Parts: sequence; C-alpha cells; structure tokens
Amino acid sequence: MNRRDAVTQVAWILGGVLSAPTIQAMNRWQELGLTSTHRTGTFLTETQHEIMARVAELIIPRTDTPGAIDVGVPDFMEVMLRDCYKKPALDTFLTGVDGLEKKGFLTLSTDAQTATLKQIEADTQKDSGPSFWLITKELTLLGYYTSEAGIKASFDYQPIPGKFEAIKINPGQKDFMYGNQA
Amino acid sequence: MNLNIKADKGQTYDAIVVGSGMTGGWAAKELTEKGLNVLMLERGYEIKHIEDYKTAFKDPWEFEHRGKISNVASEEHYATMYFSAKEGSQYMFTNDKEHPYVQKRPFNWIRAYHTGGKSLVWGKHTYRWNQEDFLANAKQGIGIDWPIRYEDLVPWYSYVEKFVGISGQAEKLAVLPDSHFQPGMAMTAPETHLKQSVAQKMNRPITIGRVAHLTNPQPWHTALGRASCQFRNRCTRGCPFGAYFSSLAATLPAARQTNRLTIVHNAIVKEVILDDKAQKAKGVRVIDQNTLEVREFYAKVIFLNAGTIGSTSILMNSRSARFPNGLGNDSDQLGRNLMDHHLAVGARADIDGFENDYYFGARPGSLYIPRFRNWGSDKRDYLRGFGYQGGASRTDWSRGAAETGFGADFKKQMTQPGPWKINLSGFGEVLPDPNNRFYLDNKQLDKWGQPQVVFDADFGENERAMRKDIMNDGAEMLEAAGFKNVVAYDNPVAHMGLGIHEMGTARMGKDPKTSVLNKFNQVHACKNVFVTDGSSMTSASNVNPSLTYMALTARAADHAVAQLKARNL
Repeated sequence: MNRRDAVTQVAWILGGVLSAPTIQAMNRWQELGLTSTHRTGTFLTETQHEIMARVAELIIPRTDTPGAIDVGVPDFMEVMLRDCYKKPALDTFLTGVDGLEKKGFLTLSTDAQTATLKQIEADTQKDSGPSFWLITKELTLLGYYTSEAGIKASFDYQPIPGKFEAIKINPGQKDFMYGNQA
Repeated sequence: MNLNIKADKGQTYDAIVVGSGMTGGWAAKELTEKGLNVLMLERGYEIKHIEDYKTAFKDPWEFEHRGKISNVASEEHYATMYFSAKEGSQYMFTNDKEHPYVQKRPFNWIRAYHTGGKSLVWGKHTYRWNQEDFLANAKQGIGIDWPIRYEDLVPWYSYVEKFVGISGQAEKLAVLPDSHFQPGMAMTAPETHLKQSVAQKMNRPITIGRVAHLTNPQPWHTALGRASCQFRNRCTRGCPFGAYFSSLAATLPAARQTNRLTIVHNAIVKEVILDDKAQKAKGVRVIDQNTLEVREFYAKVIFLNAGTIGSTSILMNSRSARFPNGLGNDSDQLGRNLMDHHLAVGARADIDGFENDYYFGARPGSLYIPRFRNWGSDKRDYLRGFGYQGGASRTDWSRGAAETGFGADFKKQMTQPGPWKINLSGFGEVLPDPNNRFYLDNKQLDKWGQPQVVFDADFGENERAMRKDIMNDGAEMLEAAGFKNVVAYDNPVAHMGLGIHEMGTARMGKDPKTSVLNKFNQVHACKNVFVTDGSSMTSASNVNPSLTYMALTARAADHAVAQLKARNL
C-alpha cells in the first residue's frame, strides 16, 4: 500500500466524517512534498490564466446549467495554486500550461482543443503522481461543484437534512449535497 | 522569562477542576450539583456554545479553499496528519507549531486547547466496557489488576448515559453491554445486507454505531437547550443544536445552573502546590498563557482532567521534598504504560448493484462490529481483541477527478450519485507496556517556560499480530456479503496517538507500589488529588473510552464529596 492509500484510510478511520474531497486533498497533500512557499498576488500570467479558463470550461462547459467560467473557476485556481500547492507539483502544473501555450492553444478550434485535452488525458493515465491533468481536473471540479451556483444547479442542496434514512431513488436523480465537506 | 508572582489569598474554592473537556465538565457538574464551589481552569481560549461555532452554518462556497488544506495550515497542524487543518474546524484544534513536542518515537499528539477540549471534536462513539475488560490483566498476568470491576461502574454508566444521550440499538451481548439508548440511526441498504450475510454465514452480530447524539431528546436534555441531531455531519465545526454531547452543550450548562461554577481561561496549570507535612495539595500554580502572569488558587480538593498527557505532566511537574520525582510518583509509574487504540487497518470493497438504493441525510456515525476474537471459545496467538467501525456510502462528484472524461456528459454524470463503496476499520486493544511512556524534558522548554513532552512509545508484537486478523477478518466479512474488489489494508504510517485515545501514564491499582491512583482515582499518597481522565486507565479495552472516563469521573466526584463531608480530605 502506498502512502496515498494509507492517508486515505486514516481519514476513513477518523470517525468516517471526512468527505471524499477532503480525502483527496489529503492525498494530494501527501504527494506534494513539504517545501514551503506562500506566495501572494496573481499566480499565472494573463495568457496562462486565459488558457486555464478555456481548459476549465472544456471540462465543465456551460450547458443548461452554468459552466466553470460562470462560477469563477479560473480565479479559484489562482488562489488554490498560490495557497495549497508546492513544488514539485507546481512545476509539473506550470510545465503543462507552458506546453499548451507553446501549442497556441487559444488559437485552436474547439474540436482541436478538445482533442488536445483528450491526448493529455490519455498520456496522463500512464503516469503516476500529480500531473497537470489531474491537478487541473481536480481544481476545476472542486471549484465548480462547491460553488454556490454549481451546487444549486447540480444537486439537491440540503444544509439541514433533519433526518437520516435509507431511501430509493430513480435513475438520473440528482445527488444530495449537505455542505459538510469543508 | 519574566514571571509575576501574585498569590491572591482571596482565590479559594472548595474544589479546583483542571480542564474543561470530557471529564472536566463531568467533574464540574457533579461537584457543583453536590454543593461545592468549583473553579475550573482551562489552559486555552474561550469558546462559547453556539455563538462561537463560527463555521457551523457556513456553506461550502464560503471557505476560501473549499475544504482543501492550505500550505500554511498544514504546517500548523502536523500532529493530526492534517485533518485538523480543514478550514471549517481548524479553530477547534491546537496549533502544533506553537505547542511543540518531542517524538523520540513517532506519536500523534492531537490536542484541543479551548473550552470543551476534545469533547467538541470527538468521534462520539460511546460504548460500555465489558466485564472481561476489567479482569483480563489479572487473568493473563499483564500489567496490574484493575482495582475495580465492571459491576462497580454499572450504576455510574447508567447515570451518565441518561444524561449524555446515546443513540444505539440494544443487542444483549456480553461482549458489548447495552447502554440506555436513544433510538439508533438507520443503516444503508448494503449495510443491512452485510449485517444479514455476516450473521447467517459467520454468526457475528453487526449493530449500528452507538454515538452520543440525541435522536429523541428527553426533558433534561431540552432543559439545557439541547435538540435532536439534524444529520448535517458538520460536527467538528461545533453543533449549534447541541445534539452531540460535549461539555459545552451539556455538563457546563448544568454546572452553571448551580451558580457555583467559575471558569478561568488561558490558565496553564504549572503545578499542584503541596503541603508536604499534611501530605495534601493546597492548590495550583497557574501561568496566564497571554500575560505570563503567575497566580495561585487554593482548594480542598483538586481534580486533574487535563487529558491523559496533560494531567500526568502536571503531576510530573509538581515536585516537592516529599515527591522529588513528581506528585504521586512513589511507584515510578508516572508516564508509563501509555496506551491508545491501534487503527488504520481493515478492509474495503466496491459494491455492485444497489443502484436504486440511497440515503437521505449525512449520518454522523457508522456500523459497529463487536469484538469476536479471543472471546468465548475463540483462541488466537495474541491477547485481547478488536472491533470495527465503518460503513457503506455512495461516492459523490469528487470521484470525477480520477475518472476518464470531461465535457457536457461528464458534467451531468457528476450530478448523480456514484457507485457504492464500503470500509471496515479496526480498533484494536493496546497492551500496557512500562516501556511505552512519555516524560518531560526540562532542557527543552515551550514559550511558557514549561518542559516539553517527549514521547517514547510504539505498538508491540501483540498489536502487530492482531492487525493481521483485523485485515483478514474484515476482508472475509466483506467477501461473505459478496462485495467486489476486496482489499485488506494496514497503514504503515499509523503511529500511537492517532486514535486520540491516549490512556494510562497514571494508572489505577490496589497497590501504591505499582500504581499512581487508588480505586476512587485518588493519588495514593495525596488523597485530595483526583485524576479521572484517560491517564487513570489500567488497560485499554478495544472500545472507545470516553464513556468509561465519564463514569469514573462521576463516581470519583461522589466519593470526593462524601469524604469531604466526613472530613477525611
């Protein structure tokens, strides 16, 4: 068992109260090593920011519900990269953004952009450890599905459920969210 | 360091209680209700019930990092492997960077220095110990015999259970004696399936976890402002409904109703002041954690409820001509036989099917599988046993990061509940071992000039042998239910302390030569000092210890008041 699994299990054991996102955060934390850099200000260049906004929107596009840009995922990414990531994960991430910039990602057609991300995703699955794709996807999902608009559009938000019971659900039924992740 | 000595003769009480957590709250409640004027000293800052639970009603989007742990927070909360660094509950846990300790061998020392202590962040699983738990040491020649038996605690278990409010299901099992229960929480469909499979195929009972949550509040609960559990599972942010038991929600309000309770915060107890001639304690010496002012408070009786390491540290630090090696340390047992529960070992699996089954609400509890090893006719190559906590739940959107795919269809999929998963986590008994210990390093001081705690403890052969069974038995039960991809795990980074069930280091016993405390939790050679938290434990059982601490505290308080009335203290 690797350390990441180990930490996940610790989280399970400690009362089972830790949510999946937290466990993910803990996993990630363990992988990232411990060189401390607390940065201030903007993390990405303007172009990098634009690229990541586009990538996030391709992961969670605006449909009949808001998309990643609508709920502020790009700015959220900046905060998270600044406060919650360290080397070498940050370097891995920046190398990934740099690769997209060199490809002229923003000038590509939507289909070409999607194909580029699919290729990155396919390459990533051969990797272990934190990758540009995993960090990007995790931050996009976290930023979206914990945002007010993202939660309210995607889930049945129940901050005070008032009861716990086993129930039946229908196929396609929205998940419940209880807001206990943080 | 510049300490101002200000001994105020006016600061005299009937009793002093050191610590405001799980047992300190009980000591204060019992002593005040029996007529004593009580001073409670809390080393940390003040948290007021409800109004200071500042994150309890925050929505996910109100947290800057949405539950992810920042670099700064992780450096401040290393003892817990970072789970305490979450934005919602950070203020409930002690900043380890500001409160350093020494790990001669690795130890997770998880603290909550504020009003309510760890009673605000505990796991709330609440179980009686069984008859065997109090007999095993003597039968097996391990450590020393307990000076009490299960039967001595039965009336006190009953007494505290009714006040606490414990949700659970009566099962009439000798291995897991029933408490007085509030209605038990529901099981999910795969959990019910597991319970039935394991009962039929392996003849092992599974019950719903017994947790200190109100599910049917009684008049004495509502009189203190406590309400029913709302199934938010935001417990570690503090419960504004007072639904789970904490000293803030329950024992402290009860004590305050007597108008005989005074609480002083930011008061680090440096030592107990001895009257060597009388072989009695006179009071305590206290350092204000903010101003560094030193004050003394006096009382006829002193209850140490500072948490296992805290209470024993105070005894160690209380040196006098009579007790050169620490108050009550004639036996050299102070600091020894440090125990915890060993955990982070068990089995997990994926569950096919049950697609139409779900649950509504966030349950702050789990299943419980009582000990079955070395019980009845079962005999293993190690001593004692273990139980499991765990349960089955469906994954949420966060499964998506590791899944292939993105775009509109992927986005829609994430709005629906994912597959079921199940986990069974063992909690094993740790044997007392005199070489598992902590001591104070008088050369390494903290910012208040107090010696740092040095931990020198680890699990032994018995625990390691037991862990193999915890893995294999867990996996077998999941297989018996037909669950898929069963994985047995044993976490190599789980060190002592992670269970947050520190026990021992000032154990109870019949003989002053081999123990620190007598059968009423009094220091053998200084009878007006009572220690009723985890430090008093002579063995560890495999079930969660808080209920037993509470019962011991109520019993000791009753004895203290009777002895005061008889003028024996």
